[in-house]
This record gives sequence, C-alpha cells and structure tokens, in this order.
Amino acid sequence: MILIHCPYCDEKRPEIEFANAGQAHVARPLDPSSQSDEEWEAYLFIRANPRGRHHERWRHVHGCGRFFNAVRDTVTDKFETTYKAGEPRR
Amino acid sequence: MSDALFRNEPVSSTPCVADGVSISLAAPLKRYSLRARTAEALETVLNAKVPQKIGATEGGIACLGPDEWFLRTAAETAMPTDTGLPVAITDISERSICLVVEGPRAAELLMTGCPLDFDNFAVGRATRTIYETVEIIIIREGEDRFHVEVWRSFAAWLWTAFTAAASH
Ligand SMILES: [Zn+2]
Repeated sequence: MILIHCPYCDEKRPEIEFANAGQAHVARPLDPSSQSDEEWEAYLFIRANPRGRHHERWRHVHGCGRFFNAVRDTVTDKFETTYKAGEPRR
Repeated sequence: MSDALFRNEPVSSTPCVADGVSISLAAPLKRYSLRARTAEALETVLNAKVPQKIGATEGGIACLGPDEWFLRTAAETAMPTDTGLPVAITDISERSICLVVEGPRAAELLMTGCPLDFDNFAVGRATRTIYETVEIIIIREGEDRFHVEVWRSFAAWLWTAFTAAASH
C-alpha cells in the first residue's frame, strides 16, 4: 500500500484514506460571461494528462478532511511532494 | 419515558467476548461537531481548552482536522448559541454509536481491517480513518482500550466484521 504524506496531519497515511480530485491549479475564470465557448470548454474539460510529473489535488477524506496538492509521477505512481492548498505550484 | 424503552441500537447490547479481546456497545453519549477557523475562537466560545494539534485530545475534545473538532460527553451539555464568533456547533449525538474494543488483543483486532499502526498509536490520540470500507473515528482511551465511533448505518456491518475477526 502507498503511503501519502498529508501536509495538514504532517504524517504519512495509507492511501485508502485519500481521494484523488483531479488536476491541481485549475483556476475558474473570474468573469465566466467574458469567456468564448472554446475558452470555457478548455476550463471545464481540457486537462493536461501528462506522462510523468503531474500536479494533482488530493483530499484526506477519511482523515483530516482537507484538500491539498500533490506532485505525482503518473508512470511510477510515486508521490514527489505534497503541499497545502493555496501554496504556490512546486 | 425511559431511554431504554425507545432506543433502538443497531448492534447487540450483549458484549462479544473472545480470547484476549472484547467488543461492546458504549452507553449513549452526547456528541458535537465543532468547526472553527481557529482553536482560539472555539476556546472563547466554550470557555475550555481546545487541542491544537491534529490527533490530540483534551477534556473530551478531539482535534480531527485543522478546522474540525469532535466533542464527546456523557452528560447533557448546554451549548452556547449566537456567539457572534465564526464557529459552528452541531449536535451529532445520534449520528454514530461507539464500540469499545478492549483487551490485550485490541490493537491487533483493529489492524485486521485498518492499515494504521496501533501498536505505536499513543494513548489519548484520536483520528478519523477507515476499517475495510467503513469510515470510523478511533480514540485510544487506554493501553488496552479503544473507542471506535461508527455511523449508525455502518454499525451492524462493523460489529459483524469485528466479532468475526475476534474469533479468529
Ligand atoms: Zn490529513
């Protein structure tokens, strides 16, 4: 079983306590009505899907309940780092 | 009317006693979910000390997350309302029941379905976690005694899983 470091609990916890919540650092446009259909589509549906290093949101759902960000390698499933929501991209 | 006449518990009130471990239903408790941005705001409202570190317990209050605390108390407690501070206090007394897992094999029993290391889980520590697929809150009350809080609708399943594991 993979252990994931929760930046709020500040300890490594079993992966079954966590839920993946998609790509991180996707900001909702401040003024949606100013967006073209293509821009809005890109915001809603288009994701990076890289092979390798990927920024993701995770939630310690069966623990402290908090969302945080993680850098995970999509090939090896190794977590490079995790950090609190709101902190700059690593 | 007596509580016993209308309470309907999801698990047996007869403890399950096996080799080195027993599982029993705890007496009804008052439970409160306490939410606040800071522990200080809660301390002002409750006029009590509130643990700051996730996992710590103090005076029946467990810190479950950076903005979440869980208060368990035997007695009916009047909770402050309209405090003017950004805190939320919710009575969740009947959302869960508490199973008491006791005995020298108590930690071993929990580890049959939960990957946390309960041999190295300090007395007085509390955490939300998962047993197989069921979310629980575990509080280590003593060296050989754990309280397991489980939502009522999952309790019958958890009781069956615990008692089956206890007899192995
Ligand atoms: Zn956590």
